[in-house]
Amino acid sequence: MNQNITTDLSKWVEEYTSDLYRWALYKISDSEQAKDLVQDTFLAAAEKIGSFKGESSPKTWLFSILNHKITDHYRKKVSQPTPLEDKSMARFFEKDGDWHESNKPKNWQDVDDNNLLDDGEFQAILKKCLDALPEKWSTSVRLKYLTEKNGEEICQELGITTSNFWQIVHRAKVQLRDCIEINWFKS
Amino acid sequence: MMHILLLSCLKATELIEKRFYFKLSFKERLQLKLHKTMCDACTNYEKHSRIIEKGIEIYQKKQHNEMDMTLLKSQINLRLHNTEN
Repeated sequence: MNQNITTDLSKWVEEYTSDLYRWALYKISDSEQAKDLVQDTFLAAAEKIGSFKGESSPKTWLFSILNHKITDHYRKKVSQPTPLEDKSMARFFEKDGDWHESNKPKNWQDVDDNNLLDDGEFQAILKKCLDALPEKWSTSVRLKYLTEKNGEEICQELGITTSNFWQIVHRAKVQLRDCIEINWFKS
Repeated sequence: MMHILLLSCLKATELIEKRFYFKLSFKERLQLKLHKTMCDACTNYEKHSRIIEKGIEIYQKKQHNEMDMTLLKSQINLRLHNTEN
């Protein structure tokens, strides 16, 4: 690698690392993995720098590399071939599809939506319950807010069918709701 | 005629979740509406599910925290330097 290129790259590391990291963290919500993606972005940039013609700004170019890495990251996560187990739903539904008597969603009485969402304890329970889900499931329910994309776009990027996607979301949400109800109302 | 409009709770909750991402067909909307008029559990489920969606959105937005960039920058420079040799 010649000296000019090394100087450019070091300058870019200094200038753009922070922005790239914040973006990656916002998109994937995992600081360790976000750091890895930013590092990989610069390594890829070092490899491909010959093809960077200065037509876009270095920042735009680095962000486009990072965005590809983020998409790959999600594709790997969500397309892992975990079979959709029906066992997970058998906890909640009878064979004919009705709720099990003991797992029916209860009336969350005296609960004001807005107050609830401001409540630190509720947020903590939500986080705990999200963390308890299989990684693929918790990623799936967060994707919409991470990527600010709609269902069609999410499925297209991930290369999965729409029905496969919302079935994963359904399983995740049924479990999440149950976990929150148990934890929130146990006291 | 009626039976094609009847859903199980499993199917009804699927549609509730599907609706956060995709537009439901006229038939699906009708099925869901009818089911909810007869089923308190699924009506509760839908309320809770909306609250949880909002909660996830808020949770995601809170994730923008700062960290020590200096360390990350030096790690990257180190790795870039290593690939040179």
